[in-house]
Amino acid sequence: MTTAIEITDLTKTFGPVTALDQLTMVVATGDIHGFLGPNGSGKSTTIRVLLGLLRADSGTARLLGGDPWRDAPVLHRRLAYVPGDVNLWPNLTGGEAIDLIGRARGGLDRNRKRDLIELFDLDPRKRGRSYSKGNRQKVALIAALASPVELLLLDEPTSGLDPLMERVFTDLLRSEASEGRTVLLSSHILSEVEALCDRVSIIKAGRIVESGTLSELRHLHRTEVVADLDGDVPADLSARPGLHNVEIDGSRFRAQVDDDALSALLATLGEVGVTALTSNPPSLEELFLAHYDTSPVPGQEMGPHTSDRARSPRHAGRRVSA
Amino acid sequence: MTTLSLPGRPWWSPMSQSGIGATTAIAWRRSRLYWVLWVLALLTLMPLTVTKYHDLVPPGSSPEQLMATLGSNPTMRAILGVPHDLSTAGGFTMWRVGAFTGWTAAFVAAFGVIRGTRADEEEGRTELVRSGAVGRHAILGGSLLVTMVATLVLGVLIALSMVGAGTPAKGSLAAGLGVTAISWVFAGVAAVCAQVFESARSARSWAAGIVLGGLFLVRAVLDGSSSVRVQAWRWLIPLEWPQLVRPYADERWWVLLLPMVLSFLLIGVAFSLESRRDFGSGLRATRLGRADAAPGLGDAAGLARRLHRTGVIGWSLGVLVFSYGMGSIGSQIDAMLANNPQVAEMMAKLGGTGELKNAFYIAMLGIMVTVVSLAAVQFLSRLHAEELTGHAEVLASTATSRWALARSHLGIALVVPVVLALASGVLVPLAEAAKLGRWSMIGDYLGAAAVLLPGLLLVLGIAMALLGWAPRWFSLAWVAVGWSMFCSWLAPLFGLPEWLIDLQPWGHLPRLPSDPLDLVPVIIETVIAVVLLAGGLVGFRRRDLLSR
Repeated sequence: MTTAIEITDLTKTFGPVTALDQLTMVVATGDIHGFLGPNGSGKSTTIRVLLGLLRADSGTARLLGGDPWRDAPVLHRRLAYVPGDVNLWPNLTGGEAIDLIGRARGGLDRNRKRDLIELFDLDPRKRGRSYSKGNRQKVALIAALASPVELLLLDEPTSGLDPLMERVFTDLLRSEASEGRTVLLSSHILSEVEALCDRVSIIKAGRIVESGTLSELRHLHRTEVVADLDGDVPADLSARPGLHNVEIDGSRFRAQVDDDALSALLATLGEVGVTALTSNPPSLEELFLAHYDTSPVPGQEMGPHTSDRARSPRHAGRRVSA
Repeated sequence: MTTLSLPGRPWWSPMSQSGIGATTAIAWRRSRLYWVLWVLALLTLMPLTVTKYHDLVPPGSSPEQLMATLGSNPTMRAILGVPHDLSTAGGFTMWRVGAFTGWTAAFVAAFGVIRGTRADEEEGRTELVRSGAVGRHAILGGSLLVTMVATLVLGVLIALSMVGAGTPAKGSLAAGLGVTAISWVFAGVAAVCAQVFESARSARSWAAGIVLGGLFLVRAVLDGSSSVRVQAWRWLIPLEWPQLVRPYADERWWVLLLPMVLSFLLIGVAFSLESRRDFGSGLRATRLGRADAAPGLGDAAGLARRLHRTGVIGWSLGVLVFSYGMGSIGSQIDAMLANNPQVAEMMAKLGGTGELKNAFYIAMLGIMVTVVSLAAVQFLSRLHAEELTGHAEVLASTATSRWALARSHLGIALVVPVVLALASGVLVPLAEAAKLGRWSMIGDYLGAAAVLLPGLLLVLGIAMALLGWAPRWFSLAWVAVGWSMFCSWLAPLFGLPEWLIDLQPWGHLPRLPSDPLDLVPVIIETVIAVVLLAGGLVGFRRRDLLSR
């Protein structure tokens, strides 16, 4: 496996504040790597160090085989960056900004620019100051995607985009990745990361707390099973090993299930007869909350987050109704 | 034009000003430090000068002689204005610092109005306030109210302090109200500019740069002229009005009506413009621009050329026109001196050891180089601004090195002012050289401008060093120029020691062609400036890029 990004023990402080605390992380070439964390956890700082905009206090970072601080201008010909909070030159039009950024990187593909403008439905003749937040974001995305680069560093790239444009972006990013580009996608929108990313790193207070493929991360966690049965739920289920937080309400059963207890449970439920079954693998949200929430068991009170989960295509096919 | 005749409320309707109490409170809360500091600073100048009057003008010197020597010196008149009566402490103070106080207050008022209106609107802070129960014009109204009350307080305090310093009450009141009135005019100018332009930067450039700065230059040309016919035009320049009130010299109270009426007209225009525009936009609907960038806009340098285009044109026009205009006035000095040998003698003593015209040209050249250094700091400040807005981050993440980023703005801040300073050296003596056919004069003054360049470089060096090592303190670069202006305009009043007055970018440089050419300070200062510039660049390359 070749690596596009390799960060070891990276520390960065701003005065008394430690933004990155011995952060270690690897992004493989060709991957879409999700970089998850809430606001202020150090995502943008990490990306800024990778861009040579900030100088690390200690630790090492390698980017496309080079030193992100020393070799910045040379490396930047091979990558594109979309900041989370895009601020454009008020007097330049969107089209001018796209050309300026693309040319300063070393050239952009004019046809590609035209196609992207059409795809994102952007008016490139408007001035920077008159664009809405979403349109500013589009300008930055087009400028980034219009150049044939090896690596895309995207810092919350869909903030401000409407769902339609988010979809356009998601599709584009997939096709970028299929052409062998590496993407580091920082986000706090879990469904986005879940839908796109091969691997995920979760950052908390300047440290990576989890990193791996989605399935690897899921193994560390439990699946939630909800079933409506034909008859009463067998009483012994509440004491069975591998099952947690079991709730039984007449013919309704709900529990958190360890992966190795799953087959036995399904067999037992099948004997009684199942009318409806829902099984949710832990979403990133739950992995995320497992690290950020104060409650130790994930998946119970999802509250406002469920809408994100409903949008995730991974859950769409899981609902089985008899 | 879409003159909406929808039933919009006129600006004088109470509804459109509803919530003005709250917006005034907000405007005051956000600008109280600004106003307290400026009022205190501007308040001190006049009473202080009164107390120094007898040191500056020894008792027993005849008033006529004083008027003749000081009041008819074109250099002094161009810088300070036309005096009316120098024989009393009050009249002298009004001429020496009174007009200056008014002009500075006007500048402060213009900035004060824009920071509370267009700047906030551009930053998106106004939107929060406007979404509350606040009328369309309440924010502009609140900001104007704070500015006008603050400058009224300044005027009243000046009047009281002048009475306290022992000058006649009538003159004190006229002087104080003159300061207030001219501030109101420029509060009005700024209010109009804040409606017309979408960006606070443009509004400031127009209100303080083009209107105030332009009027100041015209005023200097008119005041410097000795022709009565030319001086009649002074009545058209609002900056002249505080002096035309003649405080301490048989006051003409009705003249105060001119600025009052003009300020209310301007404020009315501003409110009616505000009714005609959309929130967040200027008066002109923004036109669509190009879908593709011009070939020149492809790297940091191309961007800097584009960003500085308007500024370069504006500064160049101002410097070139003023240099030539002042030079033409200078060449009329003979006509005036022919009738007054006594003045000629005194002025030679005042202006330096050389002949009188040289003294005038040198003074003008000195002013122009200082003005040009303001342009230099303003150009370089764009690099800092680009960093704070996050624009620099976008460019720095392309194949643009820190060095290329810094060079793009520093290059313009270096080249344009140097060229302008040298051009001023050509233009100031041009009229005289053409009249006499003595073209060697141009070479002399080009040389004079050249030996002043290290001061300009030093200012830029200080600015770049701050940007490289302590970007948060970048505004100190303005202080360096401000200190130099203070030294040349006001320091003598404060009786500061010579070494301290000379401790400014142009303090040690020789004034050619009167002074002998002493290359030692020129070389030393150049070396210091280059070290600061280089050090600043190293710092800029080494440090974290600031971001939003």
